[in-house]
Amino acid sequence: MEVLLAGQGEFRVEDPDAVREHMRDRKARALVNKVMDEAEAVRRFVADGDYVSFDFSSFTRGPASLIREIIRQRKRDLWYAAKFTLMEATLLAAGGCLRGIDVGFMGLGHYLGRVIEEGRLKVCEWTNGTLNQRLVAGAMGVPFFPTRALLGSDTLKYSGAKVVEDPFTGKPIALVPAVNPDVGLVHVHQCDIYGNARCPGPGAAPLETAMASKKTILTTEEIISTDDIRKAPGKTTIPYFLVDAVVYAPFGCHPGGTPGMYEMDIAHFQEWFAAERTGMDRYLEQYIHSVASHTEYLEKRVGVARLMELKRAAQIKDGYV
Amino acid sequence: MEFSEAEFMIVQTARLLEDGRLVFIGYGMPQIAAILAQRLNAPDMVQVYEFGAIGSQPETPFVRFTMGGPRNCAHSLAWTNMNTIFACAQLGMVDLGVLGATQVDMFGNVNSTILGKDFHHPTKRFPGAGGANEVLSYCWKTIVVIMHEPRRFVPRVDFISSPGFLDGSPGARERAGLPRGTGPYRVVTSKALYGFDEATRRMKLLGVRDGLTVEAVVKEMEFEPLVADPMPTLESPTAEELRILREEIDPSGVVIGRRAG
Repeated sequence: MEVLLAGQGEFRVEDPDAVREHMRDRKARALVNKVMDEAEAVRRFVADGDYVSFDFSSFTRGPASLIREIIRQRKRDLWYAAKFTLMEATLLAAGGCLRGIDVGFMGLGHYLGRVIEEGRLKVCEWTNGTLNQRLVAGAMGVPFFPTRALLGSDTLKYSGAKVVEDPFTGKPIALVPAVNPDVGLVHVHQCDIYGNARCPGPGAAPLETAMASKKTILTTEEIISTDDIRKAPGKTTIPYFLVDAVVYAPFGCHPGGTPGMYEMDIAHFQEWFAAERTGMDRYLEQYIHSVASHTEYLEKRVGVARLMELKRAAQIKDGYV
Repeated sequence: MEFSEAEFMIVQTARLLEDGRLVFIGYGMPQIAAILAQRLNAPDMVQVYEFGAIGSQPETPFVRFTMGGPRNCAHSLAWTNMNTIFACAQLGMVDLGVLGATQVDMFGNVNSTILGKDFHHPTKRFPGAGGANEVLSYCWKTIVVIMHEPRRFVPRVDFISSPGFLDGSPGARERAGLPRGTGPYRVVTSKALYGFDEATRRMKLLGVRDGLTVEAVVKEMEFEPLVADPMPTLESPTAEELRILREEIDPSGVVIGRRAG
């Protein structure tokens, strides 16, 4: 196929055979207990230089407690899939953890924009849909995914996509390369100790994120018995063998919400917007570095009263829990 | 009755939403317009969202930030995911898309990425293409909602985040590989309503806010649009539209708050 146009963005080419061999050699088939705290999970499964992806947004079912732990452990040179992220990419950049980002929609705030204007962060342009299609390709073990998005845009020129002539119809088609993140972070409503997980509701691509990623860390609101999983297998979103670590993290999305369990904390987001303008250092110190764990964050920085309010506000339950 | 610029834009947008159609709703003002349309002119419109909610009827009062949250995805017919809903749009099932935008040019190309000519050293960085690229690529018709300010209406955007009619030449979208027969359809602003000329693909002024002249509207743009003749005056928001907006949808005024200048 002749390449008609090639984006100039930086990305890593995945060899699907190398991915297969990783899946053969490094993913446990046995039902083994994977429960650990977030410090151990991040220490064992997030390395400097990793490509990190997540599901699904800063406001809803995002892996906020893991992001805070990555910053706390001062991981470096990460490349983050900033698809519709308001908060995570900004926090990671402020924490000095990032080398670059893949941008779908990287937030409404000011801090990250300034970092990019000053040339302190590499950027590869994508779209929300094509970042997900890259995960689909990675999850399927194929090298790319054909799409009719990106075409005609400058977004394509600064992405890693290529345009080719479709050998069947002769029309131009964009190909986006598979992504197999080194680490996928997914927050779920419930899972068992092996990682069989449920995350009901709308979303981005929780299953594909877990499938495509070489290492997958789950945080979960609740740990449930495998017996319960087996009684309603249709509710299982992610099967256990994709999962490397299970972290028990009630309110793990805070200040975002987990649908049906607690609402997002709008007051905290207002504080966040203010921090973005006045400097992130105090925010990082207050909410990340000065507390040792997610438990301490909830206990000392959020507090029981606020958590109870957020839980009370989540009155739409049907379909979620 | 007095109304804010945001109220004007929301009402004009809502009136363009068609009953019985699948409509892809973008973040912010389009969400409010969709709720309003569903209560007045488009009760059987099917709202779809990028996190996969289909047929949702968002709870009111409207709460910001809730594209994928329970209040926005309430009363849906189906909850799918981003891949499925964008696939439905790519398949040709989604009739209309509605997007907020940062900057638009005379051919309806949308910039939400950077200002400046050097990508690696932009003078201003914006959030990126987001899901708007999919909406403008896939939906049969797309409505762009934007504040009316000169710097937002430029001859050519610095960066095409999401495709309009590209360079305006005949068949430009199809030559790029975009789905046939798609593209920007209307641009709703705080002062006016635009469409696109069939032959030249240039933006065309189709109506102005009551009390404004064509000259006053065009003065606030960095290019000359085509101009309909005669020029209709857009009907101002009605008391009923404003009542629903103010009492039912956004009583705290977080979106509709800004007063007309």
